[in-house]
Amino acid sequence: MQHLRNIGETGEVKKASAEDVRRRIDEVWERLQEQKRATTTTLKERLEIREE
Amino acid sequence: MPSDTHRADERRFLDERGSSASLAPNGLNPATIMEKAVRERIVDSYFWKEQCFGVNEADIVDRVVDHVSFIAGTYGDTQKPSPFLCLAFKLLQLGPDDSIIDTYLSYGGEKFKYLRALACFYVRLTRKAENVFGILEPFLEDKRKLRRRLRNGVKLTYVDEFVDELLTKDRVCATSLWQMPKREILEDLDLLEPRVSPLGDIEDLLDEEEGEGEGEGE
Amino acid sequence: KHWDDLMDEEEDVDTEDDKDPEAEYAAWKLRELKRIKREREAIEAREKEREEVERRRNLTEEERK
Repeated sequence: MQHLRNIGETGEVKKASAEDVRRRIDEVWERLQEQKRATTTTLKERLEIREE
Repeated sequence: MPSDTHRADERRFLDERGSSASLAPNGLNPATIMEKAVRERIVDSYFWKEQCFGVNEADIVDRVVDHVSFIAGTYGDTQKPSPFLCLAFKLLQLGPDDSIIDTYLSYGGEKFKYLRALACFYVRLTRKAENVFGILEPFLEDKRKLRRRLRNGVKLTYVDEFVDELLTKDRVCATSLWQMPKREILEDLDLLEPRVSPLGDIEDLLDEEEGEGEGEGE
Repeated sequence: KHWDDLMDEEEDVDTEDDKDPEAEYAAWKLRELKRIKREREAIEAREKEREEVERRRNLTEEERK
């Protein structure tokens, strides 16, 4: 898990900057697009199989 | 020098109640903005323990996208705090600055409507009145749909409608909103310009409506 | 997961955007118009109240004379 990696022995978590937040937004967005592509592909594959 | 870390848990945040630790820009103590009973429900909740420990300003984005699918305060028979409310409480603990809030609202908000809604709620709780109006009003243009969960049942709402509630209601999502001066008072003090609707001037609009009724008009 | 409990499909609402942009814009325009009218009415009501206060104050001053 992301948050477990962030926490040191001290029970503290590093503050994020606006730049970090922006980068994270891009990462999450990219992850969602990946997932969408994956779903569409499976759907397409399934349809192709059905057509055969 | 301000610290470059947050406490992973909320204990110190809540212990500092009453101290002048770090007040929100509107002068309120972030630890007491939500009511005591609600705070207790939040820190007791499974979502808080599992998903809000050791979270920083960037992790908020993940949490919203993965877990916020409706707006709510507490809901259901057990008055369970919603992930939306828990994350708002986390923001109160983190106290993100204006540049981070702007990133949530604009860059993130375009992609993720619930992130915008959450940041709007947080702005209403912590910012000065003139900034609340200035920051929130542009989102009265955001017509995207939101799911709103009530004590029993679900209702369709919109970003603009939620923002309007934040600007006009006393209580939203199990939280009493601090009383802001009226917009016109802030205008008199030159803290705000009159709001111009994206639809333009109301008189023109009404004329237009009448004109339409009369056919060609003028 | 415990906190992700979904609601009954039957009572759920569809929150997908841009399915019918024109209708969505029209619905938004209606909401915005209502807000503008509400604001205008509130300002008018306050104005009236102020006038009323003013009128009464003038009355008492004249009565004092």
